Amino acid sequence: MSGDIIMAAKFIGAGLAMIGALGAGIGIGLSVHGALNGMARNPDAYGNLFTNMILGIAFSEAIAIYCLVIAFLMLFVL
Amino acid sequence: MEKTRKWRWGVHRWWILLFSILTFVGVTYIAVPIQPHIQVAPEELGKISLFGLPPFPLVNTMTAMLLVDIVIIAIAFAVRQSLKGGSMVPKGITSVMETLVEALYNLTKTSAGKWAKEIFPWFATIFIIVLVANLWKLVPGFETIGILHESEHGYAIQNLFGNVHHVLSEEVAHGEAAYTVVPWFRGLSTDLNFTAALALISVFMTQVIGVRAQKAWYFTKFFNFTTMFKKPALGFMDFIVSILELISELAKILSFAFRLFGVMFSGTVLVALVGVMAPVFVPSLVFMFELFMGVIQAFVFGMLTLVFMAQATQGHGEHADH
Repeated sequence: MSGDIIMAAKFIGAGLAMIGALGAGIGIGLSVHGALNGMARNPDAYGNLFTNMILGIAFSEAIAIYCLVIAFLMLFVL
Repeated sequence: MEKTRKWRWGVHRWWILLFSILTFVGVTYIAVPIQPHIQVAPEELGKISLFGLPPFPLVNTMTAMLLVDIVIIAIAFAVRQSLKGGSMVPKGITSVMETLVEALYNLTKTSAGKWAKEIFPWFATIFIIVLVANLWKLVPGFETIGILHESEHGYAIQNLFGNVHHVLSEEVAHGEAAYTVVPWFRGLSTDLNFTAALALISVFMTQVIGVRAQKAWYFTKFFNFTTMFKKPALGFMDFIVSILELISELAKILSFAFRLFGVMFSGTVLVALVGVMAPVFVPSLVFMFELFMGVIQAFVFGMLTLVFMAQATQGHGEHADH
């Protein structure tokens, strides 16, 4: 019985941990929005904007990945 | 003016249909996919001891590391052999590598300027090793062929020929031996040790290049007491900000290591779970996504190293001339 409760708590915890991906999604959307606006106004700056956009995406994606790692730890390690 | 042809599906759709039907038959009758056992730490293949040292566990990412190294060295030898001929026109693998290295060098030059020659080896090495490791992970059989181990929550096996067995999807009856597979190779980036090692190398070399570029003035980025005596109130704020800079420098190690590890490990889990739940056609889309993710993560890891190193060579304003 207590094992089942621990199991359920693990799943709930992993699900709650992934809420953090919400912020990363908004962040990635905002950065791509800005980069695409810039590219549309000034197509010459495409290459420069693209690399910086990828970097920005990587930074905000890292937050989502921390959540994912925590969720994995809850599911498979603890 | 060239006439645009109307888009047609062509012959490829029949190949896709044929392979989908073959997979369907395969996963229904021949090799039913089983729920994999997912483990964060790499599995242990056995113990080895080198040069009389105490034995250490040989894990399956270590064999993958050796494989990736061999592949990179083989590419290097192939390029060298084909350049020896004296032909100025590169072809085959040489031309691919030349394009890659040239693109990477141009990228380094635009963001690092005159320090490009110092930074380029670190950037290119990290990029190429992570790229090869991430792409090599997608080869079929990489995480599925291995040694059988007896374990309590395993599955029944079937002898194919000789010493080769095949894991069935049925649970074993009581009293019989149950087995799980410990694969020989596992994706290199799914081991936290590898990504943490790369992150340590990257951050440490950033400091080295910063010291080379700015001498001792580099450390005023972390302990900024230069303005403290001229204007006490604001100078003290500068000191606090520089301490925060030091903390964020240490946090870089964590974010480097966990980003690559998280993306690649979640990719492995995704491939395994989709392979169990929808084994027909859908995994190919997931594999395409994984290909994309592997290239992007290699690019991001190298690019962040490049940007941090380029930042370290530039002082902030007042000491730029030192």
